[in-house]
Amino acid sequence: MASNYAYVTYIRSTPAEVWSALTTPEFMRQYWFGVHFETDWKPGSPWKMLYPDGRVTDHGKILESVPHKRLVLSWHNDWKPEFAAEGEARCVIELEPDKGAVKLSIHHSMARDGSGLIGAVSEGWPRILSNLKSLLESGSVALTPEAAGKTTR
Amino acid sequence: MSSAYNYVTYIRSTPAKIWSAITTPEFMRQYWFGQQFETDWKPGSPLKLLYKDGSSAVSGKVVEFDREKRLVMTWLDERKDEVPTRCVIELEQVEGGAVKLTILHTSDADNSQTIVAVSGGWPRVLSNLKSLLETGKLAFSEGNDTPPKCD
Repeated sequence: MASNYAYVTYIRSTPAEVWSALTTPEFMRQYWFGVHFETDWKPGSPWKMLYPDGRVTDHGKILESVPHKRLVLSWHNDWKPEFAAEGEARCVIELEPDKGAVKLSIHHSMARDGSGLIGAVSEGWPRILSNLKSLLESGSVALTPEAAGKTTR
Repeated sequence: MSSAYNYVTYIRSTPAKIWSAITTPEFMRQYWFGQQFETDWKPGSPLKLLYKDGSSAVSGKVVEFDREKRLVMTWLDERKDEVPTRCVIELEQVEGGAVKLTILHTSDADNSQTIVAVSGGWPRVLSNLKSLLETGKLAFSEGNDTPPKCD
């Protein structure tokens, strides 16, 4: 058995714009509640996600990076010792044009059963991706950092 | 064992507007690929989800109707030979002017094909609804009159 989380959203945008939103730190901070990635996005490179104060929330490696299409990350949690002890998760992000929109699919998984990290990200992804969709379609986010902080962490 | 599909989206809107978008047929048709509910929304009343041509895609009953908060329906996909499923839609106001919309769609049957189909359908319907309420336009620019094939 394993732990799995899948989420799909459709965004009125282009794969290039969604890709840029996912991989540009300054833009990311707006919809990802202040955190941002630090990486060069090349396969094999390390990545880390940082709080505004510089602490690391999660880290891993870029396993695949096909611009505008597919991003695969290994994912190790840092902000919660119980999650960190679970070991490595895998996150696959895929973009696909669909009837004038972009289908964004996330699959976040871990080999072990009952993962607390996968439970936590299943709360987080809908918030992050609702924000991303709103930001790309309307220029402003759906949830403020305050609203998200109350319930996610 | 059983089958379940869970989906959450956050919409910059009010529970009243979202409730109205879900329960008003004329509005619903815009984002639900031409489909609409036919029911009086009273608990115990029958409910149908109709295609544009008036034929029925889904039949069921209204189980709970707690205005602007919680809607529970039974849901029988007319194209599938399966037991009725259950769909729970909940709205919750969150801080900062957004609403958390949660769908929980379940079946007592293992590997329910209805649940497979709705797990392809809900993200499309709710992405369209979110776009329409937040921006006045749908997420998809084509194919909004016909339900997409999700199974």
